Amino acid sequence: MSDKEKEQILVRYGGSGKEREIFLKGMMNPDGKAEVLDDAVILDVSYANLSGDICSSIYAEFGAEVIKIEPPEGDPSRKITPYGVNRNGVGVPFIMEARNKRYMTLDLREEAGREEFKKLAKKAHVIIETYEPGKMDFWGIGYRQLSEINPGLVYIAISPYGQYGKKAQEFIGIPDSDITAQAASGLPANIGDMPGEGEPWNWPLRAGVWLGWYISGVEAALGGAIARYYTRATGEGQMVDVATADSYVSLVGYPVTIGFTWDKARPRIGKHDFAIYPYGFWKSKDGIVAIAAGRDHDFRALLKVLNLWKHEDDFRFTFDRIPDILTQIEAFYKIIEEQTTKYTSGELVKKALDYSIKSARSKWRGGGVPIIMEVQKPATARQNPHWNKRRSFQEFDDEMLGKFTMPVNFIKMSESPPRVKWVKCGIGQDNTYVREKYLE
Amino acid sequence: MENYFDYTKKIFDPAKTKEKPEVFKGLRVLDFTHVVYGPTAAKILGQYGAEVIKFELPWVGDLWRFGVYWGNFWRHSSVCFHFVQYGKYFFALNLKLPKAKEIILKMAEKADVVIENFAAGTTDTWGIGYSQLSKANPGIIYLSCATYGQYGPMRFFPGWDLLAQAASGAIALTGYPGTDKYYKLPDYVGDFFPGNIGALAVIMALNYRNKTGKGQYIDLAQGEALMRILPNFTYESITNEDLGRVGNTDPTMAPSGIFKSCDGKFVAVAAATDEQYKGICEAMGRPDLVNKYKDTFERLKAGNAQELIDATSKWVGSSNVDNLVELAKKHHFAIAQVEDDYEITHDEWRQERGSVIVFTDEMYGKLMIPGPSQMLSKTPGRIKWLARPLGYHNRYILKTILGYSDEEIKQLEKERVIGNWDDRPGIKPPVYYDIDKDPMFNYK
Repeated sequence: MSDKEKEQILVRYGGSGKEREIFLKGMMNPDGKAEVLDDAVILDVSYANLSGDICSSIYAEFGAEVIKIEPPEGDPSRKITPYGVNRNGVGVPFIMEARNKRYMTLDLREEAGREEFKKLAKKAHVIIETYEPGKMDFWGIGYRQLSEINPGLVYIAISPYGQYGKKAQEFIGIPDSDITAQAASGLPANIGDMPGEGEPWNWPLRAGVWLGWYISGVEAALGGAIARYYTRATGEGQMVDVATADSYVSLVGYPVTIGFTWDKARPRIGKHDFAIYPYGFWKSKDGIVAIAAGRDHDFRALLKVLNLWKHEDDFRFTFDRIPDILTQIEAFYKIIEEQTTKYTSGELVKKALDYSIKSARSKWRGGGVPIIMEVQKPATARQNPHWNKRRSFQEFDDEMLGKFTMPVNFIKMSESPPRVKWVKCGIGQDNTYVREKYLE
Repeated sequence: MENYFDYTKKIFDPAKTKEKPEVFKGLRVLDFTHVVYGPTAAKILGQYGAEVIKFELPWVGDLWRFGVYWGNFWRHSSVCFHFVQYGKYFFALNLKLPKAKEIILKMAEKADVVIENFAAGTTDTWGIGYSQLSKANPGIIYLSCATYGQYGPMRFFPGWDLLAQAASGAIALTGYPGTDKYYKLPDYVGDFFPGNIGALAVIMALNYRNKTGKGQYIDLAQGEALMRILPNFTYESITNEDLGRVGNTDPTMAPSGIFKSCDGKFVAVAAATDEQYKGICEAMGRPDLVNKYKDTFERLKAGNAQELIDATSKWVGSSNVDNLVELAKKHHFAIAQVEDDYEITHDEWRQERGSVIVFTDEMYGKLMIPGPSQMLSKTPGRIKWLARPLGYHNRYILKTILGYSDEEIKQLEKERVIGNWDDRPGIKPPVYYDIDKDPMFNYK
């Protein structure tokens, strides 16, 4: 083996030190690498529900040919956007999820549209739909019918309460939205201030991120990927069912196990955490910092960093610090706050880091790692050189959509990473392309 | 033709799950993870049939074994640990010793996936990183989970769910604008969600390996996984404005929000489309509003949306939840009551669906735990057993995978290469359980 070959192998497999860094640096750029789903054709007929678009986006980022099928007037999801902000009639979330896709119009309400859809479905590997349960079946293009003509088909259906069971039937006429998915899955019930804070602070509060729809979309993509893996092995397709009112519950699990073992609901406890303390935010002189020092030695280190050692005796063990006595922990919160507000966020971060480095180097490894970080807004996270070095964002410039930025490359893989090649979403822009390629 | 719901009930029937095949049967996952983020990725592979071997330090154990809510252990274990770790094999091996490294390298030759979530580069220093294990097994898929990833100036920064939320900006989006009150996303979702992305990445890599025979390295940054789901960056690049916190409504739909009904319950209401908007206006007896805001984008503008939110708030406040749900069924707009833990636990439909399972475990008895987030008709995910005490499967692993003899195992125990628990709750078996009679723990 020549030296050059040896070096190449080292670079490919990581090595340590310098080699590892070169290897990792190469992983930050997905261009030119393989696309794992480049042989998959995926039809996305999601309607007024972006969890379907999110699911198909993920497949498109891994290289699948995703054909988004909309009615001639366009999917209403195009208009689901914060404060109506749009570019040429396309809202922000829809732009976000218009990654590497083909856009085709077909009217599934008409017999002719459904016939054409059937022909496409015969050649597809995955179908994603978000209509009310049974609607596609009623149209003759549900899993039951399509699996007859395409036994290897993976059919993903996303709806508020799933495709089977009493609740799904009973609530069939009620459409989906992110905020209702959140509400039904126990998310707002656990966000908000303590009971004594007064209205509306103590109300259940919506999470400011689309956790209902994004988690459902990702769980659907995960289910579809698992089903496709089975198809590759056996040739058999199957149906994948995601309920948006439920996917968060199953993802985090807490509402169920805590509800069962406590036989009551958790109260809302504001900025505190149920298992770890300190684990939350504190004000600094010029902003907000997040502090996590859960383990006992981390906590001791934090006390040293903040000159609070005199309280060590009262809060020595994890179980002294858990907020089951809320008044006690509120009082302690204020004690910490008195110290954090004396310093700027930057000073606090530096103090904690300096201590951590010292304790990591010391022979006595019980020094603890108190973590203090500045709370970033998306705008400041965008500027973080760390993410820029990792190419986490990409600028796009499109005739119709103009200039904009998007978070991309969300998984770094050495051989077959996801990537965004284009963002374009004119209604019916790829009608000819799709028909020529798949229907002739 | 058979009724649609009879048909779906038949193909998804949770009672038949056990009879159905497992997708990842025969795949072996070495799980060097702890707490929530990494373990979740491994758990999902296990849910669908992979053999997941969880490595822990003997007499120490995963930190999350002690991660209990308000200090309450349940049968000497943590319920929060159970649902992150179910269906795994628990192997307590002292990584610091050279003999342990030998065992890991031998196991890596027979494994398909490795998952770890230590600080960036730690496993490489220990000699069990991708650079070392991929030499023993070039087909290996190696997933490294870290808050900031393996590359970049902040790679060595420590992180938890909270810090990932802080680094991505997701933390600053919940709450009311113009206040100094911030709220983190609850339930460590900043760990669970990226963990699911990790499982997705591994499955994609498995697909690639099936096609080409090549393994690969995956560098997953928690922060990036969370940033992927924020439209805020795009919003800000288009408007030059910070979307920030938006209170208890969803600014992408008008009207929308969480409101209080006259019976004191909270209910979320939203109109995602023009049709739904028309429906909600009719339901609240305000047909005048339909024509006032015909244009969707016009309707979503802050001031206009506020008018609709106020009208909705007044209407919800004068009605009870049952009545509102009936109206929603008739007029087709989105509605859901805000459910808390207790209500979710008592929802019949979730258990009927199989997404919430009352599981009876041989060691721990009855516990309600979450099922899979996605239901697959032919190869559904499942749970086989809850978490186990530290080092519970030591003998089983060493005998079945590496073919060690009783003498060799005894020697390893003597040298403290393998071990199990001390007297702390979280790592030991429940008091009532007779571990000496347990056939798995004493595997012959």
